[in-house]
Amino acid sequence: MQLDRTMIQFSIRKPGLMTSLMVTMTLILGVLILRVHVDTDPENMLSEKEMVRIFHDRTKKEFNLHDVVVLGVVNEKDKDGVFNPETLTKIYQLSRFAAGLADSGDPERKVIGRDIIAPDNVDIIEQAGLGQVRFQWLMNKPPTTRKEALHIRDKALDNPLLKGTMIAEDGRALAMYLPISRKDFAHSLSKQLKKKIEELGADNDRFYITGLPVAEDTFGKEMFIQMAISAPLAMLMIFLLMLVFFKKIPLIISPMIIAVCTVISTMGLLIGTGNTLHIMSSMIPIFIMPIAVVDSIHILSEFFDEYQKTKDKKKTIEQVMHHLFKPMLFTSLTSAAGFASLSFTPIPPVQAFGLFVAIGIMLAWLLTILFIPAYVMLMKEKSLENFGAAEHVDPVTDRSLINRHLRWIGRTSVGRPWLVISFNLVVMVIGIIGILMIQVNDNPVKWFHKSHDIRIADKILNQHFGGTYEAYLVLSGSGEEQGPAKAAQWLSSTLSKSLKSSPVILAKALAEISEAVAENPSGRKMAKQLSLSWQQEIDKLAPEDDAGYEAWSQALDTLDRLRNQKQIFKRPDLLNYIIGLQNFLAAQGDVGKSNSIADVVQKVHQELFEGDSDHFTIPATANGVAQTLISYQNSHKPDDLWHLVTPDYTRANLWLQLRSGDNKDMERVIDDVNRYLTEKKPPSKLKAEWAGLTYINVAWQNKMVTGMLKSFLSSFVVVFIMMAILFRSLLWGLLAMIPLTFTITIIYGVIGLIGKDYDMPVAVLSSLTLGLAVDFAIHFLQRSRATMARFGDWSRTAHEMFEEPARAIARNTIVISLGFTPLLFAPLIPYQTVGVFLASIMLYSGLATLWMLPALLTVLQGRVFKNTIKPTNAVTQQEQEKKP
Amino acid sequence: MTINNCIGNTLMKSNRSILYTLLCLLFLSPVAMASEPDIDEIVNKANLAAYYAGEDGRAEVTMTITDNQKRKRLRQFIILRKDKKDGGEQFFYVYFKKPSDVRKMVFMVHKHLDRDDDRWLYLPALDLVKRIAAADKRTSFVGSNYLYEDVSGRGINEDTHELVKTDDQYYVLKNVPKDPDSVEFSSYTVWIDKKTFLPMKTEYIDKNGQKYRIVEVLETQQIDGHPTVTISKATDLAGGNATTAVFQAIKYDINLKGEIFSERYLRRPPREIRR
Repeated sequence: MQLDRTMIQFSIRKPGLMTSLMVTMTLILGVLILRVHVDTDPENMLSEKEMVRIFHDRTKKEFNLHDVVVLGVVNEKDKDGVFNPETLTKIYQLSRFAAGLADSGDPERKVIGRDIIAPDNVDIIEQAGLGQVRFQWLMNKPPTTRKEALHIRDKALDNPLLKGTMIAEDGRALAMYLPISRKDFAHSLSKQLKKKIEELGADNDRFYITGLPVAEDTFGKEMFIQMAISAPLAMLMIFLLMLVFFKKIPLIISPMIIAVCTVISTMGLLIGTGNTLHIMSSMIPIFIMPIAVVDSIHILSEFFDEYQKTKDKKKTIEQVMHHLFKPMLFTSLTSAAGFASLSFTPIPPVQAFGLFVAIGIMLAWLLTILFIPAYVMLMKEKSLENFGAAEHVDPVTDRSLINRHLRWIGRTSVGRPWLVISFNLVVMVIGIIGILMIQVNDNPVKWFHKSHDIRIADKILNQHFGGTYEAYLVLSGSGEEQGPAKAAQWLSSTLSKSLKSSPVILAKALAEISEAVAENPSGRKMAKQLSLSWQQEIDKLAPEDDAGYEAWSQALDTLDRLRNQKQIFKRPDLLNYIIGLQNFLAAQGDVGKSNSIADVVQKVHQELFEGDSDHFTIPATANGVAQTLISYQNSHKPDDLWHLVTPDYTRANLWLQLRSGDNKDMERVIDDVNRYLTEKKPPSKLKAEWAGLTYINVAWQNKMVTGMLKSFLSSFVVVFIMMAILFRSLLWGLLAMIPLTFTITIIYGVIGLIGKDYDMPVAVLSSLTLGLAVDFAIHFLQRSRATMARFGDWSRTAHEMFEEPARAIARNTIVISLGFTPLLFAPLIPYQTVGVFLASIMLYSGLATLWMLPALLTVLQGRVFKNTIKPTNAVTQQEQEKKP
Repeated sequence: MTINNCIGNTLMKSNRSILYTLLCLLFLSPVAMASEPDIDEIVNKANLAAYYAGEDGRAEVTMTITDNQKRKRLRQFIILRKDKKDGGEQFFYVYFKKPSDVRKMVFMVHKHLDRDDDRWLYLPALDLVKRIAAADKRTSFVGSNYLYEDVSGRGINEDTHELVKTDDQYYVLKNVPKDPDSVEFSSYTVWIDKKTFLPMKTEYIDKNGQKYRIVEVLETQQIDGHPTVTISKATDLAGGNATTAVFQAIKYDINLKGEIFSERYLRRPPREIRR
């Protein structure tokens, strides 16, 4: 290999230049990090062009919906719960306070005051005595007496749109829904609310703030802090472990320098190329760091073992670099390939993550090759004097813990290969069973620890209310279009009955109908034309012609029925169908509460009829519905209607409140809706589509799961091909894939068995497994082959393998798995997950490599070493390569 | 004070008191001409100009509600008005023609000064006559950006008035509610035309000090000797919605009978709505 020589020689001859080049690059790229823009919006897990997102945005716009921060108030001390004058006064003040909140720097980030759901900002319809109805604010001003407070409670409980949403069903707690213009205002709003609450004094009242926007925005803020603590802590841990193994601080500083330079440069590149810092990309340093030190550890580990033999740092480093160049290149390429495959997933942040980890890995490799030799050269021989001495004892008598265990593993796997193989097959079967039990699920609120304010608020508020997780089911349809002939027929026969007493007008109308049929392509157009013409007839009538007026009015009414068919959500049959769906969903349990246009119609209809509960129904005719709704629009907030239906009445929004934001629960609701729509045919063709944050999370999760699976499988194939090329053998390529296959099966099996949800971090870890687990196998196989070529005897080779090469792998395993234990103390769950699984993956893949590969090589030695077993060839080749 | 309401405006006309004022201005002494009317006079005249033109009146109104997504909704109705006494009680009868599914719906108001108005709604499809409490008149008029108070007028004694500016064209009045809890605004400012005394523009300030609502006159015409609003517009700044009201076929002093404005006529509209 020409390339390796050139690179290593450059580094050895010009160590100073090399070092300053690296530092300069890091500084330049590092500056770019200052341009960082944090984005923790899970919505951005989907591309902006994704249909789901386009529809979500369209729905929000169409129905004037906003992301919502929920502020719940609970009072367990007062006998009336929160419905006492003091608490209601606070609620009133908080609502008024929230209504005016906006970001001072960017007034577009604000609370949408008009759409707040709080007692002072909701309108109710109620009986006002003497057959009157009244629209009035539920709480125009804070109550001063218990009676007034209870009146407010009873009125709210009486309103199906408020019960379970604003007021707890038990009438003791209250929730305010604060819509915000942008999700990234949630954290700031939550902070300001908390401050205000402190100012007002909580006393016996407990205030809770939750909702997906708060969770997501708060996560972003905490993630930043987390990153600033975890990454350096992990680095410190790695440093300490290396210190234990290698003792010499000056030497182990070098992998740290490489890790830092790689992380800074990669992040600089990421941010400099205009990418946002997303929850995924925030993990890049944590992923790159272990990979960046792995190669250095291999070099150091070998340098450490070899130096004492030659006492010549130049010669030793040359020899070590030469040895390791190929495996390091390939391990880096395979790891990079594993991550780069993520750029084929349909999820932009995952693409960026995969791509930049891949870039980071290759950068780490480059820096390792170029910098480590330079660094060694810059060190004074003197400081290396005692280097490695502690380790350099007779390997046979060395009884250090690591060595003893490694030798034991070596003896077992070589001595009883079938036992090892069958044991692993059993573990594999258990792993597969576990994988089959895997539950795909995620919930941004659960990214916080159980003791976090947001988790507590989430739990308590979802006990009291219909649910703080929102999903929108948009039903749409435009009715069946009738042809002009059919419409005309219906019109003629209807009019013939209703206009019997006005034969002259009837005849005129019928004549016009038959003319209009011929001229119009559709029933609706025909009706429009007739409508204009008949309106003129009415206008022509003499003032005293009451009968004529009555008749033409009737004719127009009939026409209107035809013309309004498109407005399907005024149709009583459809509204009753929606009520059926709502009841069905409520019975299934996941939906705590749902709100629809049908609820409004029923409630207003009831109040129009003296509040009689028998009239809590949908009126019998579409005009009855229309008139009920126009009555509703005489309220303070008529536009509230357009959250539930479009003004053309062709699209309706069913606002679902879920008690859990778990994706699996949302998925069950989607299934329930689909089942209802198929099993109970709607009276008019309906299209059902979903929007809302809870749904968006399901959508990107589904994309992620399938995307990750595809990317994993494709990178598996790519890595296998690379292995086959590296070893110039399909069989060896397969062998290299074995440890990682087992590691993945077992790790994911355990996830299934312990019931840990397969969520975002877990999904991403599969690519890490691929990248790291294959590394050990490459090193082990490559060295086995080289050693075998030297000795021509497997048992001697195996013995040799469990000295330095096995130590390097074991050191790596321990350094990295322990190095990431600081993540376990992170308050954010995804980081904990990554910490635990990184450690487990490293441990198991190291173990799998050392355990299974020698066992397999023992069993297969006749086949795998068929060619290398000829000592002459191998030695010649080896010798040739060794020539300077 | 009822400043401004455009619908009201259109119905009425300059009332006789305006004519009277004009006559005074034309024929009386230069001293009188030079002196500006005092604030109560302005408020009174504006109220009369906006809501009490003629003895009675009729107009065909088309309201177009345009929301922040540019979606349009239509309300078409005939409005009949009869005054019992200028500046005093009056009756309104509103007969809906569109949207077609609310055709024949009727909204009727008996406006009182000393107590809450009486309001009725007749819903033909439910065959229901319903009285609607009018304690709070700041509710939407059939889903438009006009409020009931815009239609029938805000009592001139409900606010304190302050003349903040007089220029060539307008008297500008700032009005602060005497009972702030009863309304959603903290104050409103009205631009009253110095010649016609029609309130030409009203801006409402919310309780956070933000301007959130504007009602303005876009076109006036002289009809039967009354300066009359023919197009007006109410804009909800926060919501991005607006309603334009166009008044056509306006007539004054058509001798409407008082009995038209009774419950009896809700189910069977009077002929007057047809012409």
